[in-house]
Amino acid sequence: MIRLFHVSKFFDQCAALRDVTIRIDKGECVLLTGPSGAGKTTLLKVIFGSEVPDEGQILVQNRNIARLRQGDVPYLRRTIGFVLQNFQLLPQKTVHENVVLPLIIQGVKSREAQKRVKETLGAVGMEHKRAIRAGGLSVGEQQRVCIARAIVNRPMIVLADEPTGNLDGELTMEIVELLKSIHAQGTTMLVATHNQVVVGCMKGRVLHLQAGRLVSDTRGEGE
Amino acid sequence: MRVWYIMRESLTHLRGNRGTVLIGVVTTAFTISCFGGFLLLYLNLKNLAAFLQNDVQVIVYLEPEASVQTTSGVNQRLEREPAATTITFVSKERALREFHEQFPDESTLLDGMGSNPLPASFVVNVSPRFQDAESIGAFADRVRQFPGVTHVRYSQDWIDTLALFVSHFEFGAVVIGTILAVATVTIITNTVRLSFYTRREEIEILRLIGATGAFIAVPYVIEGAILGTLGGVLSLGVLKGTFEFLRFEIGASGWFRGMDHILMFFSVPVSMLLILMGMLLGCGSSLFSVFGLMKTRD
Repeated sequence: MIRLFHVSKFFDQCAALRDVTIRIDKGECVLLTGPSGAGKTTLLKVIFGSEVPDEGQILVQNRNIARLRQGDVPYLRRTIGFVLQNFQLLPQKTVHENVVLPLIIQGVKSREAQKRVKETLGAVGMEHKRAIRAGGLSVGEQQRVCIARAIVNRPMIVLADEPTGNLDGELTMEIVELLKSIHAQGTTMLVATHNQVVVGCMKGRVLHLQAGRLVSDTRGEGE
Repeated sequence: MRVWYIMRESLTHLRGNRGTVLIGVVTTAFTISCFGGFLLLYLNLKNLAAFLQNDVQVIVYLEPEASVQTTSGVNQRLEREPAATTITFVSKERALREFHEQFPDESTLLDGMGSNPLPASFVVNVSPRFQDAESIGAFADRVRQFPGVTHVRYSQDWIDTLALFVSHFEFGAVVIGTILAVATVTIITNTVRLSFYTRREEIEILRLIGATGAFIAVPYVIEGAILGTLGGVLSLGVLKGTFEFLRFEIGASGWFRGMDHILMFFSVPVSMLLILMGMLLGCGSSLFSVFGLMKTRD
């Protein structure tokens, strides 16, 4: 599903990723760990097409990301859900408007889009707040909406960058359970986190990065 | 669903940036008004030149004490001239009456002179075939030799000068029009760019969830088109108001008596073109602005 071959990425001659080779199969749950600045976010960004690697090749669903034309990047992103630490919701728009946006972009018909939004908001436990503006939600609720937006178009891959970074213990467990349920439906999941509780609960394969290098690859209990 | 979303987003952008939009509309209206005013002046000058060229008259003044025989002789010789189409005799009395009518404030000037100092004259309308400067000049030279004629006046020189001025004006219109168009593009570009910058975060989110450049840009292009159209409509209103005011003032002054009908405003198609120009300038500026800002990959 995702292949990285000797990928390196430099920012001002400082290596964010250095000769990283990874193979992630369909339906895998992979946890990306490491200290701040280890290259976790950069790794997710090169897979997502936000950053172009300076060396190496990346295949996502058999498409070479490194050689992707700028015009094709949006189409790649429609097949990948991205959950961020800072949610990146539109605060003036309602929960429903935020979640339906990827479907509007894809040109999904109105009736189908409404059905999918309802189902997705139900899955993340936010259907009762569909008419509330995103800016008025608690952080936990905002993260649920962010996850709903990431999965509403039923992507094959979900990337999550520190999805529990802004949450306390109880909310962290809620979000972990939500991510586990998404993975249980067959979605390939790649979660960057430095939270050991998340690592312990997700029970996935753990890739440990340090100074841009992949230093360990451990198969989890659930694999 | 997508169309509805894009239209709603465009209107939301406009509503959310009322101050900036107002400034954009007013400045666009100003630049289009300058261009439109220039165009209006050009069209009316062209009309005036065409009108005057089609209505060339030669005035043949007679000696102050010309006898009936002399007057009749001049009339007969003028009738034999192929350049003359209609010949109107203006007697000394009629000349005085017309002077009083046209210049009521200055009519007392002639009162102290005792007898009527104005000469009798013939007003000759010239056939279109002889309306060029050379033919009229030759005609006037011949008429000057007629017994009883003191001098001959005709307006061809300044009509030709006016026609030359209009042709130079065309070149000026292109240059000034281009400068104003660039100014309008710059103003709308900056307005849209400002709107774009205030929504950088929103645009980043749209990119994150797979929006194409076109999907992001279209609401801004519509915003620019609405802004340009509003500017065009406003400028048309300003131009019409100014035109009617000037027409009233010119009519009241009596300077161009009998020529009021030459003054004309833009026809409906030209007015529509002016609004369309505003819209296209708005669209173009937005495209220029938005695509310039969306070149980065993230």
